[in-house]
Amino acid sequence: MTLLVAFGFVLVASAQNRKISGTLTDDKGSPVANGSVIVKGTTTGTTSDANGKFSLSIPSTAKTLVVSGIGMATQEVSIGSRTNFDVSVKAANIEMEDVIVTGYTKENKRQFASASTTLGSKAVENVPVPSFDQMLQGRVPGLLANSGSGQPGAGANVIIRGTSSLGGQGQPLYIVDGVPLSSADLAAINPNDFETITVLKDASAAAMYGSRGALGVIVVTTKRGKAGQTNFTFKNQFGFTQRPQPSQFNQLDSRGMLAYEEFVGGFANGLTAPGWVWSAKNPANASLPATSPSNNPTLPSRARYDFLLDSLGNNNVDYYDLLFRTGVARTNELAMSGGNSTTRYLISLNNFSQEGTDRKSKLDRYSLRLNLDNTVGKLTTQLSSLVSYSKIIYNEGTFYAGSGTANPFAMVWRAKPYENPYRADGSIIVGTSTPTSPKAIGNLIERSDNTDWIENQIKVNSGLNLAYKILPTLTIRNNFGIDAASFNAQGAIAANSFVGSLQTFQSGFLNESFFNRMQLINTTSLVFNKRFADKHDVEVGAFFEGVRQWNRGFGLSMFNLDPRLTQTGQGAGPLPTNGAPTVAQNGGSAKSGFGIRSAFTTLRYTYNNKYTVSANFRRDGTSRIINPENKEIDTYSASLSWDATKENFFSKQKVLTDLRARFSVGEIANINSIPGGSFGINSNFYTVANYTSAQQAAYSTVGFAGSPLTATAPSTAVNRDLRLETVEKLNLGFDFGFVKNRIRLRADFYKNTTNDLFVRQQLPATSGFYGGVLNVNAGNMENKGVELDLTLEVIKTKDIDLILNANHGYNKNEITSLGTVNEYPEGTGIIKKGLPVGTHYSFAYLGADVATGRPIYKRANGTPTTNINEAGQFHEFGTWLPVHTGGFSASFRFKRITIDALFSYQFDVRRYNNVQNWVSQGDAVYAGAVTQSQVLLTDQWRKPGDVKMLQGPNSSRQFTSYDISDASFLRFRNLNVSYMIPEINVSGKRIVKSARFYIQAQNIAIFSSWSGLDPEDNNNISLAEFPNPKAMVLGLDINF
Amino acid sequence: MKRNKLIILAFAGMATFSSCKKLIEVPDTDLIAGNLALSQITYVEQAVLGGYASTNPDMNILLNATFADEVTRAEFYNAVTTHEWQYSPADVGLRDNFTAIGVNYTVINRMNLVLEALPKADSTKVGDEVKRSRLRGEALFLRANAHFELFRYYCKNYDAAGLGMPYMETSTILPRPRIAMGPYFVKIKADLAEAKNLVVNSLTDINRANVAAVAGLQARVALYMRDWAAAETFATEFIAAVPLATIAQFPSIWTDVNSAEQAYRVIKTSTLGGRLGSLFRATSASASNIGTITWKPSEKIWTAYDQTNDVRFASYFKSEPLLSGVGRDPRLINKYAGGTYAAPNENVANGKMLRTAEMVLIRAEARAELNKFTGANSAEADLNLLRSNRITGYTNVVLTSKQQAIDEIMQERFKELVYEGHRFYDLKRRSLPVTRLAIDAPSPAGTTLPADNFRFTLPIPLPEVTANPTMTQNEGYQ
Repeated sequence: MTLLVAFGFVLVASAQNRKISGTLTDDKGSPVANGSVIVKGTTTGTTSDANGKFSLSIPSTAKTLVVSGIGMATQEVSIGSRTNFDVSVKAANIEMEDVIVTGYTKENKRQFASASTTLGSKAVENVPVPSFDQMLQGRVPGLLANSGSGQPGAGANVIIRGTSSLGGQGQPLYIVDGVPLSSADLAAINPNDFETITVLKDASAAAMYGSRGALGVIVVTTKRGKAGQTNFTFKNQFGFTQRPQPSQFNQLDSRGMLAYEEFVGGFANGLTAPGWVWSAKNPANASLPATSPSNNPTLPSRARYDFLLDSLGNNNVDYYDLLFRTGVARTNELAMSGGNSTTRYLISLNNFSQEGTDRKSKLDRYSLRLNLDNTVGKLTTQLSSLVSYSKIIYNEGTFYAGSGTANPFAMVWRAKPYENPYRADGSIIVGTSTPTSPKAIGNLIERSDNTDWIENQIKVNSGLNLAYKILPTLTIRNNFGIDAASFNAQGAIAANSFVGSLQTFQSGFLNESFFNRMQLINTTSLVFNKRFADKHDVEVGAFFEGVRQWNRGFGLSMFNLDPRLTQTGQGAGPLPTNGAPTVAQNGGSAKSGFGIRSAFTTLRYTYNNKYTVSANFRRDGTSRIINPENKEIDTYSASLSWDATKENFFSKQKVLTDLRARFSVGEIANINSIPGGSFGINSNFYTVANYTSAQQAAYSTVGFAGSPLTATAPSTAVNRDLRLETVEKLNLGFDFGFVKNRIRLRADFYKNTTNDLFVRQQLPATSGFYGGVLNVNAGNMENKGVELDLTLEVIKTKDIDLILNANHGYNKNEITSLGTVNEYPEGTGIIKKGLPVGTHYSFAYLGADVATGRPIYKRANGTPTTNINEAGQFHEFGTWLPVHTGGFSASFRFKRITIDALFSYQFDVRRYNNVQNWVSQGDAVYAGAVTQSQVLLTDQWRKPGDVKMLQGPNSSRQFTSYDISDASFLRFRNLNVSYMIPEINVSGKRIVKSARFYIQAQNIAIFSSWSGLDPEDNNNISLAEFPNPKAMVLGLDINF
Repeated sequence: MKRNKLIILAFAGMATFSSCKKLIEVPDTDLIAGNLALSQITYVEQAVLGGYASTNPDMNILLNATFADEVTRAEFYNAVTTHEWQYSPADVGLRDNFTAIGVNYTVINRMNLVLEALPKADSTKVGDEVKRSRLRGEALFLRANAHFELFRYYCKNYDAAGLGMPYMETSTILPRPRIAMGPYFVKIKADLAEAKNLVVNSLTDINRANVAAVAGLQARVALYMRDWAAAETFATEFIAAVPLATIAQFPSIWTDVNSAEQAYRVIKTSTLGGRLGSLFRATSASASNIGTITWKPSEKIWTAYDQTNDVRFASYFKSEPLLSGVGRDPRLINKYAGGTYAAPNENVANGKMLRTAEMVLIRAEARAELNKFTGANSAEADLNLLRSNRITGYTNVVLTSKQQAIDEIMQERFKELVYEGHRFYDLKRRSLPVTRLAIDAPSPAGTTLPADNFRFTLPIPLPEVTANPTMTQNEGYQ
């Protein structure tokens, strides 16, 4: 009946038609094919042809045309008396902020009740950092993204709304076009492909992802082709990463260090260092002859020793110059996109190359993306596919981290400044390093020149999404995804090198390994969506989902290599057995896997676009839990949103131009925190995870003489009653808009409670493991916080835009219950009821004893003591997980010039400064092994009566509160200055549609009271890690 | 329409991947753990051996020697709290040497895992079905034995209403409370009764449980329960299976040349199981430089024997001239001396877990308590049987009262079973004091532990009280 009426109307209206025509183009001037042009309020309309042209008969009553293209924003054009319409259609992504992609569904932002932050592609485009998680720092309120290494390819430790587990909780879930992406492989994909990044933070947003999404979900959509003329983009980038600059530890130079050694040697026994061994003040040198005999001038004598001291004192080698370099960064990218009304595509090919700031490290990545969209009748097909190959060369320090002699980031401050690693002829000095003949830097350089730590990765992340509209209101959808990574790696030490001669069997070392990780996901859903009586919007969905992962790896080590060859096992000689009855394997192999099965349903009801209620009920089951009773868990979420702009009263007030309120509650199980284990596979790179070793007793051999058979017994206690941790999440949020929404404030308040928290409990003897400890579901933890996100559009004119943004997250973590215990120390910290995770637990240092110079510590009762055994340990020195994080940015455009700047900051965070401890010990051990700080010249106790902070040279100091430093920082994170080059036409033919030239810089400056290379880290202690480098690139993007 | 149906069917097909039951049953294929670890009878047998591996006499031997009057401190003394009965639940001496609660529940848990896996384990070899029941018997035997040991350490003398320990019949990490001794012993007896029907009735391999060994443990349990009739029956059963060693055989028991009198032993080697002799004397640096002596025989035990005619004296003790030569006390405990000084097997000796002499003395005590102190099949007969196999030229005694019989038996247990882990418990269960000679006592306070003192029962160690909220501490230590 309705159809007939409409038909009749068209017939009637056609009586007074007139003809109009025009062209649809996109923002780059390319014609838009298959765009629709409809007279508003009617069914009269047409589509544009391949050149974007259209013509249409319209009734004289027509006032407005509704114009839209596939993938384009809908636009209204008033008709007036015009007959020719050249309409520029904007790409839909500009309006993207109205839609939130949760991965399973697209939500209307005005009805979406959840706490989430969406970033556009600009946040990650052309940033000279391979792993995009690092780019999130300072962008998203409540998201902590700290990187622990400047190794090219290193990711960040991302924590959303605080830590929810006591053990390793894992990383948030990453989803790219509906397919999970392993958080370990973020460097393998090209962030320039991204269209949006949405961070889902609360229960209802993450509910779709169930137990995988308990730590928050980061949903990425990639760019897709648009109907219309084929568009090419070429990106080229070239730049540098700056080598680390000398530290702020104020270390002594050669003469200073020699003099300090002389002082310490005269004070405390046991120092062997040139400054003391050859000192005139050393009693051992009292009876030295004045000169050495002329026929043996190297024999000890006063003159000889003075000569040695003088020549060492003249050495002042800049180790920063020797051990580090300026890295070169390069990017080349070619993208092509286009399509027609049924099929659209995007292809991008990218090569990213970045050198680290040490002597060797490097990342080289080639990535290829194909995104395909097709609609035939009721069937819509979407393919999103990424293949990439990366080669990473690692820095030695990545494998021998900490303060080891192979780590340049440690030796640069550890090695004595008077060591000269090169002979006069330029050859390197290697060999056993002794205090009077130091060869640490020489050995380090030789080692670095003769070893290789190389990893190759092949990455596939692809998804196929099929949607079929059974009825206009009913869609069946299937989403299949593959996330696979195949790695092979080689660690090689050349046989004919000095470092090769130090290996087992004295002739090099080779470790070859392979690791494969493959995850498949399939989600099938049936969604019913209908609007009744123009007021009641209902959506009901049923989803079935399966996830299956396989891991496999193997490794082998070889020795006694052929000195003529490098990086190969060819020519390796046999290994001696030394008469042993058995020989250990030099290889290893393991495999593992798990599955997750989920069924869930979603319900949403919106009344009059004003009130929205939604709910999600789900059951997740996983093979990672063995106990059949705990395998499956039921959780829920519910939310409520209110769009006040739709209320009558809203139009009567003038202050607010937008107001929405959001509330959500729910429970999410956490599959990431299940305690597990791993298999060693004789690889320097990989282990293979196992998932149930904490739940079933693993047997190993025990000694027993009473039988020819071997006796076995379970080696560790297991928790057969293990359950998933769950996080109960509450969120209340408000969105305000003022001054035509040019001022927007988004505020969220949340409380997340972890239940069944894994807590390390002392085992009762009856368990069979007296004195043992085990993770059991016994505790509770809370994260409460506030997030604010303020955006100001200060200026918005044709020529000038200025947009400012500030975001801040405050998170208060508290362990509220630990089951049967109240506290236990863990590492350098303490897990204690009432305190946050990451709390330091340390001796309190009070300074040097005035009479004896011994270090003074605080006893548990507060009184001072110089006996470390009587000292108490305290937990009042803060936490290494920052309480406040945030960032602010400015985006300024003047005509064709755009300047974007981002600052990030963190405060209320303290970390152990291991380096500071070592350089300020000032005793015989440290003065002998580590270049000391000048602070010792002024702050160290030297004689009775001295009131000094640092203890005298005759005693050493424990790790104490003195070494816990404020790691707050404000970082000038990113600056991008770009110039938009206008269209270039050559003799009337358009060669370039648009182009952009830019300078982008990362980690430009840091403001912090922290001493050391970088206050940013992903853990509690600074152990001379690879610092995050400063990088600057020049780039050119061309569209043609 | 047909195409529509096909498409919908295809979607339904894809959905089956997601709903597959296997997804939540993916096994950890490479983990030698859980059901897989004990999936075959052979593997279960290895796990049973894991129970034996943790069953050792050492702790009992040291406890009964040093808490009672069998030894005197010698060249190195750091056991004040235990030797002089000053221990608290946090005592370091108890923690280092006497955490019976740890080792015994370890055995119990291992055996409970075995008992759980046994019915499901595949038999792959001929004889596996027979072995399945034998292994069950052995697991029950070891479980009962470990529970009995826990009773001896942590419980007062048997009283059905008194506090026992948690009796563990399944493997769990959850805390379990102590139960009354009545039901506790019902379970011990039930485990042993079932075990006896399942284990081998042969003494070919006395490193593992057999019918005689089970009978021996049943006799010992009955003795502690003061179930005299049962004690007599079970001891008789043991004696019938394993006769007493003769005077001629006796010394070779202690050099492990023969295994006379034993139904169950713990084999020790220089690399496995620890050195029993090192409980009393450290291994030697050389043949002439004898290791530090921590405990020497007490004067009380040294003088208790007819040193010429009693074969036990020379087997158990030695006066070492090498020591007196360098001004050291020459008296040595020789029972577990193993090889010569500084030899690889110095101090290495097997643990004799159940020995006929003990059974004869259990039967004697039971018969005395049943008022059969003289005549045929009496305490007197048993005493004479034992002594005539120990003392050259022994003349039978005639006992005139039950009390005399008990006294003689206690003295004979002291002499026969010294350093075998009985003395302190014997005094405890007979409500006798520990009485050291002045010359043996480390201090005036370390001379006497009054009869029935609370310290005859060890405290539940502090970590266990912390870890197990349902645990009850023993009287005197709260």
